[in-house]
Amino acid sequence: MSDSANPLSDIKLKEAIMGKKMKKHNSMISTEARDAWLMMAPALIILLIVAVYPIIRSFWLSLHEMILTDPGSGYPFIGLKNYIKIFQDRKAVNSIIFTLKFTITTVSLELLIGFAAALIMNKAFRGKGLVRAAILIPWAIPTTVSALMWKFIYNDQYGLFNDVLYRLGVIDSYKAWLSTSDGSFMALVITDVWKTAPYMALLILAGLQMVSESLYESAKIDGAGVVKRFYYITLPMVKNTVIVALLFRTLDAFRVFDLISVMTGGANKTESIAIYSYKNLMKFLDFGYGSALAVLIFIVVFIISLIYMKVLGDKLTDMEG
Amino acid sequence: MKKLFKQVLVLGLALTMILSLAACSGKTETEKEVNTAEETVTEAAKPSEQVTLRFSFDQGVGEPTQKIVDQFNASQDKIKVETVLLPQDANVVHDDFVNKLATGDTSIDIMGLDVVYIAEFASAGWLADLGQYFDSDVTDTMIKGTVDAATYDGKLVAMPWFTNSSVLFYRKDVIDQLGAAVPTTYKGWMELADKAVGINGIEYGADFQASQSEALVCNWVEYVWNHGGDILDSNGKPVINSAQNVAATTTMKTLVDKYAPEGVTTYSETESEQVFKEGKCLFIRDWSGFWSSGQGEDSKVTGLIGATTLPIGEGGTDPHSCLGGLDLVVNNSISDTQKEAAAEFIRYMVSAETQKNMTLISSQPPVVKDVYKDADILKEIPFYADFFSVIEGGKSRPQSPKYAKVSDAIQRYIHQALTGEIEVQKALDDLQAEVEELSK
Repeated sequence: MSDSANPLSDIKLKEAIMGKKMKKHNSMISTEARDAWLMMAPALIILLIVAVYPIIRSFWLSLHEMILTDPGSGYPFIGLKNYIKIFQDRKAVNSIIFTLKFTITTVSLELLIGFAAALIMNKAFRGKGLVRAAILIPWAIPTTVSALMWKFIYNDQYGLFNDVLYRLGVIDSYKAWLSTSDGSFMALVITDVWKTAPYMALLILAGLQMVSESLYESAKIDGAGVVKRFYYITLPMVKNTVIVALLFRTLDAFRVFDLISVMTGGANKTESIAIYSYKNLMKFLDFGYGSALAVLIFIVVFIISLIYMKVLGDKLTDMEG
Repeated sequence: MKKLFKQVLVLGLALTMILSLAACSGKTETEKEVNTAEETVTEAAKPSEQVTLRFSFDQGVGEPTQKIVDQFNASQDKIKVETVLLPQDANVVHDDFVNKLATGDTSIDIMGLDVVYIAEFASAGWLADLGQYFDSDVTDTMIKGTVDAATYDGKLVAMPWFTNSSVLFYRKDVIDQLGAAVPTTYKGWMELADKAVGINGIEYGADFQASQSEALVCNWVEYVWNHGGDILDSNGKPVINSAQNVAATTTMKTLVDKYAPEGVTTYSETESEQVFKEGKCLFIRDWSGFWSSGQGEDSKVTGLIGATTLPIGEGGTDPHSCLGGLDLVVNNSISDTQKEAAAEFIRYMVSAETQKNMTLISSQPPVVKDVYKDADILKEIPFYADFFSVIEGGKSRPQSPKYAKVSDAIQRYIHQALTGEIEVQKALDDLQAEVEELSK
């Protein structure tokens, strides 16, 4: 019977079967997606409550004049006036400039040192495991604790920093490093780099370990030198990891707070935008202006992230790819 | 389009996680909710006839205060006081109280509040007027400076609990060796310091706190008062760039440049005390508690310390010290019954007897004058014989609802003047302009 049937109906039949299969496949995808949303729901709801709501609330507060010590004002809505004030406020502008300077300096130093450390750790040598664990220690110490420790290291009477430099003959008498603005900036940068370069190193190390050894071997056979191998193999292969590491560090550095709060308290022109924002909120009880500064930090960090995302292309988020 | 949405979503979520810390004011919001929850619980747990009060203060005075509170609870059965301890960190305590009071929270009835925040809290309308519960015979027993600091806009908004003031501690052994008298002027101390360097390990003539912090404000206002200057005049108008204040700041800068350790502009209490305890300084200006903490086992100057009033400079008449300490304040949002009960408890806390007990177990300087002359106290803390004349001349820092901003401005400009970043005259002119702007 089937043999004698016309070819047209046969195709139709096949199409029908195929269509059914496709439909089944499609509905499976949609069920999967629905399940995924369901399973993520608790996490999303918690995020909405503890993170998104406060941010929206901060934004709302930033549109009001809200100085708690002046309840008579009735906390009126003033639109974007708080934001305009930021750019007329010399202290705010100075703190933004300082924060940018601090971010660029620390992140570039951390990248250099972290990359170098990662390259060293990627080589096979005895005690490699120990070194990898040891390098994490600065990163594992809470920032406040390491800041206090370094504050003592820079002390003008007993500080290790003075002692080392004095013995090396770099300085001829002990100096109060945290009493000048250059000294404070240097001290903060050293401390931050000491603390977070290991983090950078570990992230880059993870990237380096993904690079297949055979690539280097074939390059060697082709006669590529160390520099060429680094430039043409290592760099392109770890580029994405490095950018992710840079993204994290830039965001962190831009929001620097505890390190500065402990070491200088914002003295000697080292007031970061996060410290200035905290001061306005909790010290001056100016919730409107303080919130505007907090929102500004959020926006700047968002822009920084977007730039990195652009460089990174789709790779961070594109799951199908 | 879908991909873009997904990207933004992922980025947004990642950022919100990272940034939840940046949103400081947001954190306040969540804390508020927790607090209201607490409040309903305590409200429900209250027995009907007994009034329960919640008293919040920092851990620094935790143990002795708990003992006193227990004694109060045992002494009567109408009021029961529960304690809520906070960490020993002035900022944390301040922020905690602000979070609660700003939302009209009533979970806390009585607070131990640092004297510098009285004006700020009072201007926000958070503090109950205690004038209706206490007449002047209670406050008359107290050191005048502490009562002044508890008064805002003519109203008694706080009750002094215990006080503190700075003292000039000096090396007795060095002065004896030089056969000199204890100087009473800055000039006298400088001349003495010139001779003292090298004797018994002395390297520095002076030691105090000049890091950009509240401690710097305390130090600086003392130079100002002791040179006959002031920060605000009697009408609350800033008088910062006066000739006396320029002289005062110049004296301070001379001490920083020529007599103090190089890092003095980075010193808060701990660092300055360390150098003095090492035996390197002729004198240190520090809080009264250093009399005992400076002569502990880790100190090289135990038994070698004398205490005196702060020196005066040109134009100064009487030496003044900066007052610190805690006041008892009542939350303005609680009911009248609660307020009355709170006043009853405060009356107990500031009675001469309780103050004496508290002093004996906490070694915090009391606010009631008679306690300093009490025989038991003098036997236990002989230092109080010298200390009373210092604290009697104590003055409180300028009172302003915008004190936090005034203090911040003082810290920035004076610190810059001391580190030589700007000239003294210019620093004071700029400071004057900024405080004028704030007073508008």
